[in-house]
Amino acid sequence: MDFLAPFKEVYSLDNIKFLLDGFGITLKVAAISIVLSFLIGGLIGTLRYMKIPVVSPLLAVLVETIRNLPLLLIIFFTYFALPEIGIEMEITTAAIAALTVFESAMLSEIIRSGLNSIEKGQIEAGRASGLSYFQTLRYIVMPQALRRMVPPIVSQFISLLKDTSLAVVIALPDLLHNGQIIYAQKGSYVIPVFLLVAFMYFIVNYALSLVARRLELN
Amino acid sequence: MFKTKHIVKLVLVTIVAALFLAGCGKDKASTGSSKDVLAKIKEDKKIVFGVKYDTRLFGLKNPKTGEVEGFDIDLSKALAEEMFGKDVKPEYVEVTSKTRVGLLNNGKVDAVVATMTITDERKKEVDFTDVYFDAGQSLLVKKGSKIQGLQDLKKGTTVLAVKGSTSAINIREKAPETTVLEYENYAEAFTALKAGKGDALTTDDSILYGMVEEDPSFQLVGGTFTEEPYGIAVKKGNQELVDALNKALKSLKDSGKYDEIKNKWIKN
Repeated sequence: MDFLAPFKEVYSLDNIKFLLDGFGITLKVAAISIVLSFLIGGLIGTLRYMKIPVVSPLLAVLVETIRNLPLLLIIFFTYFALPEIGIEMEITTAAIAALTVFESAMLSEIIRSGLNSIEKGQIEAGRASGLSYFQTLRYIVMPQALRRMVPPIVSQFISLLKDTSLAVVIALPDLLHNGQIIYAQKGSYVIPVFLLVAFMYFIVNYALSLVARRLELN
Repeated sequence: MFKTKHIVKLVLVTIVAALFLAGCGKDKASTGSSKDVLAKIKEDKKIVFGVKYDTRLFGLKNPKTGEVEGFDIDLSKALAEEMFGKDVKPEYVEVTSKTRVGLLNNGKVDAVVATMTITDERKKEVDFTDVYFDAGQSLLVKKGSKIQGLQDLKKGTTVLAVKGSTSAINIREKAPETTVLEYENYAEAFTALKAGKGDALTTDDSILYGMVEEDPSFQLVGGTFTEEPYGIAVKKGNQELVDALNKALKSLKDSGKYDEIKNKWIKN
């Protein structure tokens, strides 16, 4: 019975509300980063696919640099190093900026490889039937590529949502951070808090997976 | 062909990374935060204190009320009132052992009151006020443990500590044979101790007393083996603010207000 006592104390209305406040921040940061990084990553991936001289190789260097740094380091850099050169950001903004930069690089690779996976014959057929290069890209390549990209893109979004928890290092008051504060009240709270926090992450991420499955079937 | 292309890419990546890093070292003084902190406080009519949100007795956020509570908070509130009356509103921003110096330097907080030990090393980075609390490092063990003091921390023993704190550095010096495991915060370190991940937990006695209060099957052993004078840290070069804080601290001590606050939180 002694083992269950902390669970009762932790799962009080106040604590759950406090965790949900944090979860709100997690979802907000994740949602904004997902939209921004999808747009930026999509643009970068497409530009690299088009093999434009100068632009595409420069983007390649950029993507390789960012993709090969740990996200934690980028978060630290955004919050502590950028103010040194005059770029000041609030914690939430800094977290969103760092996540967007990192995830854009990751997504651009997914999008580029998705586009590359479409056979050359498709483009040739499109061009032969009188479509311009951009029309071929827009109406022939993109729709087919996007369907292939859905699973890896959703996986990336799921890991983005989980990666928001890395921003506890700059004290972003997200789900994990608020969980830490609850178990700082009493040592025996650690396990009940972990379970509840894990459950909340799981619900949302699993819902994302289900949406992805739906999209694939269509 | 394939290989040269790769080498070119690698070189380019290195150059970009180097530029990135070079950019962050310069211009330290030219940012907006170089303004005198005391003047800024008076102008904005608020003083931003950096405090812990996860440390029992000193600074702990209460999920029920959303307020931060503890000795550091009450003391800084009293100091702000002593210095500026009701004109200047105290505000609180969360800091951790890892972020507090960075936040001071980029101007996000005006003063750090966060169980911060005054050390010579840290004096190079920030300015400290007089000591506002005397702590000392000690060891926390399960009652009945064979470890009764520093001398028992031999090869094969494990001590748990918290990242970015002086206690991790001290224990490596005082007991070089023991293995030190560092955790993110005190709650995690204490949970690890309970789970048997180490033989002892080391940090300031004031924080350890908070853990004993929570779980009396643990006890402090061996007395204190370091002096950990806590100071309030401000950005380097703000002597006027340091003087003002010292003066306020002294009058709080003289008036008995300091003891009142201290007795409310620290009982031993």
